[in-house]
This record gives sequence, C-alpha cells and structure tokens, in this order.
Amino acid sequence: MWNEYSIGLAAAFACALVGFLALMWEKDDLHKLLLVDLVETAALAVIALIGTDLSEALILPGLVVGIAELLALSQIYLVKEGYQHMPVKGLNIEVIMRSPATVIIATILAVYGIILSGFTGGAIAGLGIVFLLMSRSFSGDFHILEMASGISWALWVAAFFVFMFAPEWWYMALMGAAVGILMKVITKMSLVGAMWGDQG
Amino acid sequence: MNEIGGAPLFFLEFGDIVIYFTPFTLALFLLALVFSVFVLVSRPERQLEIAFGGDAYYAKEISLSELRFRRFMSIACGLACMGAMVTGDVFDFTLFVSLVGICNVGIVAAVRSRHVQNAAYQYGLVALAGTVPMFAAAGMVAATTGTLSMLELAKGTATVPVAARALLVLGVMGEGMAPFYAAKAEMFRAPGAPYVIMCSLSSLLIFLRVTEVILLI
Repeated sequence: MWNEYSIGLAAAFACALVGFLALMWEKDDLHKLLLVDLVETAALAVIALIGTDLSEALILPGLVVGIAELLALSQIYLVKEGYQHMPVKGLNIEVIMRSPATVIIATILAVYGIILSGFTGGAIAGLGIVFLLMSRSFSGDFHILEMASGISWALWVAAFFVFMFAPEWWYMALMGAAVGILMKVITKMSLVGAMWGDQG
Repeated sequence: MNEIGGAPLFFLEFGDIVIYFTPFTLALFLLALVFSVFVLVSRPERQLEIAFGGDAYYAKEISLSELRFRRFMSIACGLACMGAMVTGDVFDFTLFVSLVGICNVGIVAAVRSRHVQNAAYQYGLVALAGTVPMFAAAGMVAATTGTLSMLELAKGTATVPVAARALLVLGVMGEGMAPFYAAKAEMFRAPGAPYVIMCSLSSLLIFLRVTEVILLI
C-alpha cells in the first residue's frame, strides 16, 4: 500500500492542502494570486510523480495553462485596482548598461542554449537575449522576430506531421522539431524581453 | 466495452490520441458549434442607463475593439468546448476544460466595470485553483493505469482509483463556476450579453461531459 508513489502523492497533497489553507486565511487579492500559483506547483508535482517521459510531456502544457491564467489574472488585477502602466526603459543599472559583460554573458547563454537545442536550449538562449535586450533598452522593429517565430513554429508542426505520416524520415523530423522549437522559444522570449517596457 | 454515450460512430486517430464521436458527445459537440455560430453573427446588447434628473435614458456605446475581444473570447470558448466534447484522452480533456476556464475569465473580464472585474478576478482564482485537482487527477490516472486513453480505460482492464475520479469532478466544477460569478455581477442582462451565454453553455457542456467520462473510465 505505502509504496514510493503513495508517499510522494501524500507529500504533494499535503503541500497543496497547506497552500489551500493559506488561501482561506489570506484576505489580500494579490497575495491570493501568488498563493494560487504556489498551489499550482503541487499539481505539477503530482504529474511529475508519474516518473516517465510522459510526465515531462504533461507538465509542459500544464505549466503553460497555469502561466496563461496567471498572466490573465494579473492583467485583470491591474485594471481592477486602477494601476497605471509605468513604462520602464531598461534595467537602469550603470554596470549593466555600460560594460561589455552583458554581451559576454548573453553570448555564453546563447551558444550553450544552441548546443543544448530543443525546448530547454531555446529557453536558455532566449534568456541570454532577454538579458541583453533588457540591459540595452533596445527599441526597434520586431516584425522580423515575429515572423521568425511563426516560421519556426510551422517547422515544428511540420516535423510532427512527418513523425505521424512518414516515420521512416524520423531523423530529419527530429532535427526539424529540435531546431523549430529552439528558434521559437528564443524568438518568443526575446520578444518578451523587448516588449516589457511597452504598453501591453 | 462500457458504452455510456452509445456506440462510437467515428474515430479520428492521431497516433495514440483518438478523437471519437458517440451519439451523446456528437449532440454536445453540435450544441457548442451552433452557439459558437450564434455568437459569431450576433450583435452586442447595449446597456441602457437612466439619466438622473430628467425623463431620459441613453444607451452605452461598446467600442469596436471591446466587441472584437469579447467575440473572440466567446468563439475561442466555443472551440475549446468542442475539443473537450470529442477528445478521447483524459489529459487533453483537462487541458481543454482549463482552456474553457481561461476563455470564461476573458469573457467576464472584457466588461470594463469595477464590480464585474472583481467578479472576474474571484472566478479566475477559483478556476486557477480548479486546475490543481484536475491535473492531479489526470496524473493519477496515468500513474495508476498506465494509460490516458478513455477507450483503453473503458475496457475495464484497469480500475481508476475513486480519489482520481473525485478530483477530476472537483476540478471541472471549479472551472465551470463561471455562471455563478457572472450572475453575481448581474451580467446576464446587459453588460456582456449575449456573449456571456457562452459561460453558461460551456459550463453545462463540461459538466455533462465529465459525467460521461467518470462513468466511462
């Protein structure tokens, strides 16, 4: 009865229960939102307990749904409380703004991300570019980035169709999917980094 | 196999993810489709406000961008509903239901009025909390039976624990709370009409479908 899975499940549910109890006592709206996001992590822990590759495939959409709801709710919170949007231009820290260190760090992250490839690599390379764009308060035209994101997403989907309908070409599809998701995550994250000062 | 919704009429296979229609889910799917078309073609209701101190009233204007946003959210809600009706995978079902939840938050929050925004925020918290038991249920189904396919589970070779079923129902209930909050903000008459009808319809449809899923697996 009490195998590893049950113990893990009990621990995850205990965490969720603590989160929900805190949620019951909390009165402040913003703190409630943060607590709900914390409880959401317990759900991801329950999925992670499956302990196979499948759990990774299930965590990603779960995480995306959670983040989407969190973004929507924080936007509603801003409107509801009547907070004005403060345009932020860059990080405004002198060392980060002037020195070449940011470029070096961003390059290391981008190169490491490309070596890793796939979703994780995309996230790491994207993080480097976000850091660079945030520190340099870059402003410009992002249509090309948007287009690159769209095309790489199409490449990713096309690769999945190859997996389904022509499995003998799996190696090409694997490379296509890896490059596609890498490019998509990089461009999407750099868009986030570039747009954070703009009116959302 | 245990056939709650009648004999399956049609299967559409994407690898091990199977979309299928039974007479029951087909009826629910058509209902979602018809109402999506209704919101696509209908015009928004304009709220009437009485001018104080005079024998006059005026109709509140709804800007084109607001109209477009509400209509988009309602149609997205309809599409998510259709997906939740026909999918044959427990995890996909939970994803579609949480998508319905997000769209409902969008439909309610599109009305620029403070008490409606408050209701939308409260509902959003409930919907976000509802994803916890729902994803947990899907995770437990996969971990205890080794499959997420409803067709496989319907064969009855592996039993889904009662706790997983209960959590699934609890989660779907959380996501389907939209009409409660819409009614609380008095949205059914003018602010948000007619798009707010998608809240009620989607909640009804996901409740019906989750009942079928629970009986099936």
